[in-house]
Amino acid sequence: MKSESQISVQKLIQAKIPGKETGVEIKKSICSICGVQCGIDAYVKDGRLIKVEGTKENPSNRGVMCVKGAANRQWVYNAERLKTPLARKGDKGAGEFLPISWDEALDRIASRLNEIKEESGPESVVFFTGYPKWLRPFLKRLAHSFGSPNYCTESSTCFLATVLANRLTYGCAAGPDLKGTKCILNWSSNPHYSSAPMAGLFTRAAEEGIKIIDVGPLNTTLSRQADIHLCLRPGTSGALALGIAHVIIEEGLYDREFVDNFTLGFDEYRAYCARFSPDVASNITGVPAEKIAAAARLYAISKPAAIINSASVTVHHTNGVQNHRAITALIGLTGNFDRPGGSHVVPTTYYHRPTGLANQEDEFEQPRSWSDMAVRVGQERFPVWSELITEAQATDLPFQITTGKPYPIRSVLGFGVNHRMWPGASAMAEALLKLDFFVDADLFMTDTARLADIVLPVCSSLERSELAIQGSRHATWTEPAIPPVGESRSDVDIIIEIARRLGLDDPLLVQGHEACLEWMFEPSHIKIDDIKKHPGGAFLADRTEIPYEKYRQTGFPTPSGKMEFTSQVLKAAGLDPLPTYKEPVLSPVSAPDVATRFPLILTTGARLPMFMHSRTYRMPWMKRLRPDPMVDINPVDARGRGVAPNEWISLATPRGAIRVRANVTELVPPGVVSMYHGFPGADANDLIDPDYRDPISGYPGYKSLLCDVKKLDNQGGAA
Amino acid sequence: MTQYAFSFDVSRCSGCMACTVACQDQNDFVSDDVVAFRHVTKYEQGLFPAAQIFHFSLSCQHCGDAPCLTVCPTGAIFREAEDGTVLVNRNLCVGCHSCELACPFGAPKFPEDGKAAKCDLCHVRREHDLKPACVLICPTQALDVGPIEELSKRKAEKASVMIMKSLVIGSSENS
Repeated sequence: MKSESQISVQKLIQAKIPGKETGVEIKKSICSICGVQCGIDAYVKDGRLIKVEGTKENPSNRGVMCVKGAANRQWVYNAERLKTPLARKGDKGAGEFLPISWDEALDRIASRLNEIKEESGPESVVFFTGYPKWLRPFLKRLAHSFGSPNYCTESSTCFLATVLANRLTYGCAAGPDLKGTKCILNWSSNPHYSSAPMAGLFTRAAEEGIKIIDVGPLNTTLSRQADIHLCLRPGTSGALALGIAHVIIEEGLYDREFVDNFTLGFDEYRAYCARFSPDVASNITGVPAEKIAAAARLYAISKPAAIINSASVTVHHTNGVQNHRAITALIGLTGNFDRPGGSHVVPTTYYHRPTGLANQEDEFEQPRSWSDMAVRVGQERFPVWSELITEAQATDLPFQITTGKPYPIRSVLGFGVNHRMWPGASAMAEALLKLDFFVDADLFMTDTARLADIVLPVCSSLERSELAIQGSRHATWTEPAIPPVGESRSDVDIIIEIARRLGLDDPLLVQGHEACLEWMFEPSHIKIDDIKKHPGGAFLADRTEIPYEKYRQTGFPTPSGKMEFTSQVLKAAGLDPLPTYKEPVLSPVSAPDVATRFPLILTTGARLPMFMHSRTYRMPWMKRLRPDPMVDINPVDARGRGVAPNEWISLATPRGAIRVRANVTELVPPGVVSMYHGFPGADANDLIDPDYRDPISGYPGYKSLLCDVKKLDNQGGAA
Repeated sequence: MTQYAFSFDVSRCSGCMACTVACQDQNDFVSDDVVAFRHVTKYEQGLFPAAQIFHFSLSCQHCGDAPCLTVCPTGAIFREAEDGTVLVNRNLCVGCHSCELACPFGAPKFPEDGKAAKCDLCHVRREHDLKPACVLICPTQALDVGPIEELSKRKAEKASVMIMKSLVIGSSENS
């Protein structure tokens, strides 16, 4: 018989109550499933993670978490976790591997990379990283120390094109400044599903009476809460923004002082906007003209007003950069640029975090100048990208691997490579098989890792130490909450170990993780040891505030020194300097012949709560929330095709078809279907041509093309 | 006796389902047998362009007059004296499923051992000043927990503020 006290301790253990008697400890960590970097309170017993909660003092999540973060145990202890380094045994791509030691793996990688460098030059080796971002400065430094210009990341298809668009117009990027704003214009972001812990701010804003205008084709929680929802046809953001500008200019609601003193090309812009009356914009976008006018007035009259964008929705179109420029031009037009409650220009730190902390991250990353290295992958096709963005454009990688032009690519040293990121994903997988030597480091045996010659096991954020700095200047240094699974190691430690074995002339990098970080943040006198004193993180003290309206003193970092409605960089590159509107290459208007066979508009990648690209499909709690690949289709379109809810259908584009279930829903308007990407065996990205790209950024047009849906005879089985 | 309960604000819920997975994580529902003690349901109203989508997160309601408790033939289901939580003594449960038949909310679940299990309002956590896992995680604070009187008071105050705001804004716009 158990005593009563034993029973009561048992009850506490079952409820996972932290304390001495239960042996349950709370350790501070961060989540790395997406990029928000929410604080995690890791409940650990006997060295095992038994539960997670959000960290209350973390300013990103303030104690709450999203559904994916809640499932961190199934991320950390996933059945597909890699336990040891692996060497390919059978044919390339056959997925047969033998475990090898770390020493053997690292020696083989170093000697093979040095051989290839000797034979074909350092540029024939590509250094690629997917998510998360914390290892990026280290990998970029490794690439350039090695001599290769070809450092590239998943940012070749996400986020950086919005930075590019902002740099073209303003010379810099500005984030929304929400404190004190009177109106939020949310342009195609669904925060409740993409960054749920931060979505509460919209709920609070709506409840406090802050005006919300929501733009996007989907019927979301935010569009329901918004004062005005502009439900536009995917791919027509540019026309809608120009229509809004038309109303603001014609009705004299723009900021004359700002426009007269700080902008270039207003007359051309004004003349161009004149072509987009609300009726014309309505015709293009499908948004009623009176709603366009009402939104324009609400946004322009509310002072100050802030625009929130998604990291990529507006730039995942074949006219993406120009569409995004048309949207963000509204900020300057209404005088909301770098003003409290409008937007704020804050220099970024440690991978795209707007902290304004002095640092020498750029110098750390780039120990060798571009002129001392070969031309970058994608540079000839996308010169504007290469001029303004300090990475290669990875969407060109499959083309260069396949053609060998302008020079052969023989090897990829990758961290978290996911071929499903590329448009025409199967083409990228085929290209990877053509490499002489492909190394992939990952948490899981992914479909891309299967294509590698050597696979390295990396550990999760809960098993390593890392530095996280939030925009609010909240800094966290984590210690491992649990021991690494198997022999897995941290990405940065792997990069530094490879640097050592390559015998590079880089005395700083080989000093290790913390030494490099201290070097990067030396100008701010930030010491890792000080941050370590606060396990859940703390705000960095005594930092000067970043002022507003800096352009009044310094001008804009553009060629003209002004905000450029007409971009001089685009003009010099022979491209249209105005934020011109073009139809998506595959739209009912631009390709009516294709639309007769594929009459529906396909938009892909709109966030679902449980998925993050293809990272979480393997987590049982996530998969159970949506077991089969599903396409969202309006009841009108489903009925017209004899498709009943949940039936298996074929989703087809000119490039191919996938078998998915019909999610018949008013989430999407008639004529539009929405499909989440990266689903194993039914990947929407494979339905898109590898060259369906924006001509300025090289970004894929994931969010507007043509498709059709057909009921399948075979209704049995799973995907 | 104080009666504790959940409150739920349908206007805030986005259907993100974090509550269901937090429940699974707290209660170690790693097998397929028990999904969670919480269920999120989507409801669509109207047609484009007037359509609206709502979500509802439902668990055991810890009813004042709990039918599961009334029908349980072995007395396994009982009301906790301190806070009115309806609990299951799994040692007494014979797995007859009467509670499942009687419950209008689908709250009782039957894991691998065949005995009833249901939401206990994380009562051991609350004894240690920790909120129920589903409440703590909710990104929009659509879920809350507390004594019924307190929850009612909070709702009344929130609604009153909203009404007053609309009156003030309405009058200033008319002026």
